[in-house]
Amino acid sequence: MKLRHLGAFCAMGLGLAAAPALAEYPERPINMIIPYGAGGATDISARTIAEPLGTAVGGTLVMSNITGAGGATGSVAVQNAKPDGYTMLFARVGSHSVNPAMKATLPYTLDDYRFVTVYEINPVACAVRPDSGIESMEDLVSLTESEGTSYSSSGVGSMLHLAAVFVLDEFGVKDPLEKATHIPQKGGGAAATAVLNGTATFLCTNTSALASFVANGQLKPLMVTTDEPVPGFDAPSASSLGKSDLTQLVGWTGIAGPDDLPDDVAAKWGEWMAEAAGNEKFVEQMTARGSVIEVMSPEEANEFIETQYETFRALVDKLGMRIEG
Amino acid sequence: MSLIDSVMAGLALVGNWEAFLSLAIGVVIGVVGGAIPGISATMAVALALPFTFPMQPINGILLLLGVYKGGIFGGSIPAILIKTPGTPASSATILDGHPMAERGEAGRALGMALWASCTADFVSNLALIFFAGFLASFALSFGPPEFFALILFSLTIIAGVSGESLLRGALSALLGLLLATIGLDLVYGTNRFTFGDPNLMGGLNFIAVLIGLFAIPEVINMVWHPTGHMGKVQKLGSKWVTFAEYKRCFRSIIRGSFIGVFLGSIPGIGAAPAAFLSYSEARRKSPNKANFGKGEIEGVAASEAGNNGVAGATLIPLLALGVPGDVITAIIIGAFMVHGLQPGPMMFVLNVDIIYGLFIGLILSSGILFVVGGLAIRGFRPVADIPKRILMPMVLVLCIYGVFAVNNNIFDVGVMFVMGWVGFVMSRYHIPAAPFLIAFILGPLLEDNFRQSMLMSGGSPDILLRGPITWFFWTLTVIAIVAITRGTMRAAQSEG
Repeated sequence: MKLRHLGAFCAMGLGLAAAPALAEYPERPINMIIPYGAGGATDISARTIAEPLGTAVGGTLVMSNITGAGGATGSVAVQNAKPDGYTMLFARVGSHSVNPAMKATLPYTLDDYRFVTVYEINPVACAVRPDSGIESMEDLVSLTESEGTSYSSSGVGSMLHLAAVFVLDEFGVKDPLEKATHIPQKGGGAAATAVLNGTATFLCTNTSALASFVANGQLKPLMVTTDEPVPGFDAPSASSLGKSDLTQLVGWTGIAGPDDLPDDVAAKWGEWMAEAAGNEKFVEQMTARGSVIEVMSPEEANEFIETQYETFRALVDKLGMRIEG
Repeated sequence: MSLIDSVMAGLALVGNWEAFLSLAIGVVIGVVGGAIPGISATMAVALALPFTFPMQPINGILLLLGVYKGGIFGGSIPAILIKTPGTPASSATILDGHPMAERGEAGRALGMALWASCTADFVSNLALIFFAGFLASFALSFGPPEFFALILFSLTIIAGVSGESLLRGALSALLGLLLATIGLDLVYGTNRFTFGDPNLMGGLNFIAVLIGLFAIPEVINMVWHPTGHMGKVQKLGSKWVTFAEYKRCFRSIIRGSFIGVFLGSIPGIGAAPAAFLSYSEARRKSPNKANFGKGEIEGVAASEAGNNGVAGATLIPLLALGVPGDVITAIIIGAFMVHGLQPGPMMFVLNVDIIYGLFIGLILSSGILFVVGGLAIRGFRPVADIPKRILMPMVLVLCIYGVFAVNNNIFDVGVMFVMGWVGFVMSRYHIPAAPFLIAFILGPLLEDNFRQSMLMSGGSPDILLRGPITWFFWTLTVIAIVAITRGTMRAAQSEG
């Protein structure tokens, strides 16, 4: 009899203890929106972190791709979501620093989001066809000045678009918009193809996207936008060429929620990400694909993106690249 | 390493039950996914992708390839049975497949679709194995001007699928071209016809338009005339396709396979235009021209050969150049990257075992597709016998679910319903839907490549005639237009 009383008492105690725990975030599956298509860099990155992240969260993460308009469609879905931490976005350099800097008509701004982390950095490399006769950045710049060149991108307002202009501008090409013709393509694969088949002279994109072409000898890298050389890329780093400003030009993947995301939710994400990104298998997989794993706290992430945005915005304003219509 | 060594290395990799099973599971997922309206082959591959991450690289890739091939065939099942393409590539199959089903010959149409698919698949795989290098270098000679000429020629297909009235066909195509302009402008990045709605910035979702145009009008028709279909014998039918028929269509199947291989090896076109081009070529060459569009079995054979001919050939740019040929291979290339494989010329040196393993797997896949497809036809047999009043609500639910799932966006469901009414009105006025679809697919390609050419040349139109490839397609275009004009005039004379 006594035992049963004790049991009931314990059960009641457990119930009381469980009540606050139940209300604790997350109490149901979290929707993770990937604003780019399946099989792309963002998608692969997101799905690779999903596994260790799911363990860290201790709940279910529902990954869904909402694609279109260079990441804008998926980003808007999160912008309009309830800021309860149950709808989060895998934000990318294109959707959250290049696009806002270039497009006046974008339905969102950086202020509409609160970043909880940036966990992956991808250096950028510029590459040409090996038989193009261009051996160095110097050659590319002088060819651009004399005859004019062209570059491909995955679309207007993509990182590839801005990267090529940024690089030429840093290397002292006056009026890079006039001297070099932008030939936009639909998607990163098509952008690389355009250089392979001679439609465009060069492209600047993430090393992860170029790695296979460089390894296969189909494209020749001219420069990587880092302080140190990148393994597998037989090309000087931006710093060694004296253009350390170009180190701002890197791709990244992060996680963001709507701007009024509560502080405790953001803090939770900071903890989870620190745990998830420590996963050895994850780090190994991502590094093999040419990414640098660097987990930023919510504050660091916001500052990092803000700085990159300001750099890009200044360039866009200087050259009059902003798209108004 | 000699060829024998390479083949042995490949065999060592795929000569086990896991590889075989992955491939078979892939084909099953693909056929079922393709057969459900709204879950296209693309989506089936995208859904399967994360599950292949922990698998052995070769098994994971074989599974995805199985899904791809199965999906392209599976799409023909609803196209024939319920006039809804399960995947965009099977839109052309509707033209003759569904009229056959309405005649009570669904079994025959499905059988032919399977035979044509497997034959084309096999041809396509052989082309990949033996001519990958040649076709890849050919594909690399396709810049924007060559593309422009090819797409321009492909637009002449519209005449072949317009049915009785070329004018109505052209009207339908114009509407398709117009709606395809919605979204971001490629060169300036400005919004076109988006009316400030972010949902329109990405353009109209292709699957939503496709389902809306073909499936929803059927549902609306059913509501409009609940008893209109009574007395029609929509049955699977006891008739099965015969070997004699296969032999009769063999030329069209082989022609379609080659069209598929050719268009598949050039990155950026995809399976739907190949199916339509193969269909219109078969119609042009056929003695039963007048019967096309009314349930001609050769039409089904040609369409299915065209789209499955693409399936093996899209791997040519993927393996030989490392560039994705269409949306589906763009997903599959992700699987290569996840496993640290770098497709491209060096892969034939560094990972020769994987390359040959894939080749062996692909050859097997044609056989597996034949078996699984045959079972699937039997499995979906009851669908043909379900009364329309029960079938149509089910179709509607599947369509809504499928279109939502493509992009997790309720807006697309709205697009589907609006397009459904457009399709319904079009069918009431006997305006064919196929030209709309062709224009909707090819219009943006035509525009983008034209503008890219102009950017390359600094605005000079001379570039559109650079090199023999452009001349070849310009000549074909002129010949096609002359032939269409003469045919139309002759028809007008014989009437008047």
